Order: sequence, then structure tokens, then C-alpha cells
Amino acid sequence: MNIFISGGCKNGKSYHAQELARDMAREKNLPLYYLATMIPHDHEDDARIARHLSEREGWGFETVEQGVEICRALTGKTTGEKPVDPSGVFLLDSVTALLSNEMFRADGTMDLECGQRLAAELTEFAKRTGNTIFVSDYIYSDANRFDEFTETYRSTLAMLDRTLARVCDQVIEVTYGFTYTYK
Amino acid sequence: MIVIFGGAYQGKLDYAKEKFNICNDDVFTCADNQTAIDTTARVIYGLENFTFACVKAGLEARDELAALRGQLEDKIIICADISQGIVPLDADQRAWREMNGRCMLWLGREADRVIRVFCGLGQDIRQEG
Repeated sequence: MNIFISGGCKNGKSYHAQELARDMAREKNLPLYYLATMIPHDHEDDARIARHLSEREGWGFETVEQGVEICRALTGKTTGEKPVDPSGVFLLDSVTALLSNEMFRADGTMDLECGQRLAAELTEFAKRTGNTIFVSDYIYSDANRFDEFTETYRSTLAMLDRTLARVCDQVIEVTYGFTYTYK
Repeated sequence: MIVIFGGAYQGKLDYAKEKFNICNDDVFTCADNQTAIDTTARVIYGLENFTFACVKAGLEARDELAALRGQLEDKIIICADISQGIVPLDADQRAWREMNGRCMLWLGREADRVIRVFCGLGQDIRQEG
């Protein structure tokens, strides 16, 4: 089952997603993968990644590093050099980071038009795995009128969210650890 | 009266079109420089633009809508939720955030049904009867 989870920042989305992924893998006796989407840019990112790693310790996740072109993870290897099994359970945390990497690229260029391609790739990822939990961030209730780049990022992320909400079997909003299931 | 709200780009209008059999001709889209509302349309969309226009014009959006209350009975009103972000630096945007909130509080009480749209999916916040 593919699941889409969103909600505000620091509301317990990742923890809930980790629990769902772990339980799904146990129930179906499948390998459990964590798709590491963050590309570290500085010491702050290194520390954040170290914190995430220690938070996932003991959960049984194998890490697959894939910051762009997400479907390539399915034919890649884990950080332990094991080939990835596409029928495993995947936790993609987060769509937000993935879009950021794709739109504002590591080489300093921008791809503001990447939305449709990403929507197709994420849809393909969901279909090929059938057991992915996608985590995104609900960043749409500001009263600020942002600059063009921020607004493009926001509208594109929302389009990806709506696409995944349509494609996934279950859609959950997490608010301070409480959940509401839309479908 | 049905009120539909949700964050930016959540697919609120598409949701209304699908659920309530609406076509483009049924929709009046509010502009942020216009405080007049066409109450002949079945759907009033982009109410946050109307509340912004009210800020600019020095009007209280809630009172303007209350004056039209009799004409809103069979309407679907769609508004962006702009209540959950950082306090804007710009004074007009700050006032807008509050104006929109007061307006939505009133609308929520008056409506027969209130739906929140999240990533294209609806949640009934309030349904009479």
C-alpha cells in the first residue's frame, strides 16, 4: 500500500511514517528502506543527518541515498552495498527535500520547470514499489506574498502533493502526533 | 451556504467543480483591487482577494458580506487559509491576515457546511443536519 503523509513542521510526521513503514515491512516480511533525500551542504546538514541516523537506529532501515532522479534508487544499492529490492517497503522523507534538490540544483543552476517530470517520476515510483510512504510538508497557509522562486517552489510542491494524494491508497495529515485520514 | 477553505494551491476550486457540478461560468473570481462581489454567480472564488481589497479600501470584509447575507444562501464561497504562517512584515498583509480571519470566523458560523481541502481531498469540518 502506498501512503502519503503531510502536515506542519515538527508535528510528528516522520515518526508516524517510520512506524507505518516498519509495521508494513514486518507484516509482509519485506526489506525496509529509508530513502535519504538530503544532500548535505554544510556542517549543519551533516549534524542533522547524523541526528536522523541515530533516530532511526534499531528500526531496521537500510539507507539508500538518492537526492535526485528518485527512480534510480530502485536499481541502486544501499549504503551497505546491497542491491535494492524494488518490492521492498520504502520511506521517502521528504518530497520537500527532493523537490528542493531538483529545482535548486547542487551546481547552482535552477530547474523551475521540473514539476511535471517529478510528478511522473513519483507516480512511477509508487507504482513500481507499491509499498512506499511519501512524506511532504504542508507550507501553504502563509499570508506572505513571496518572491517568484519561493512561490514557484510552493505551487510545484503542492502539485506534487496533490498528485501523490491521488495516486496513493491512503492520505494522512499529522497534527502534533494526531492523525486525520482523508482516504 | 457552503464554505470551502484550505491552503494555497490545494485544489479548492477543482474540488468544488467536481463535487458540486460547477462549470467555469458559475464562478466569480474576486480581485484584490475590487470590493464588489457578483452575487449572481453560484460560486464566489478567491475570497482572500476580496478581503485584501477591503483592507486597501478601509472596509471591514465581514460587514460587507453580512450586508449581502440574504443573497449568499445558495452560494459556495471559496477562500484560502492564510492564517498559519509567519506574521508578515508588511502592514497591509498583516491587516489582511486578520481581516480574512474575522471574515472566515463569521462565514463559518453562518454556513450550512464547511469543508477544508487538503492536497485535493476534502474534510467536512461542519455539516448541519
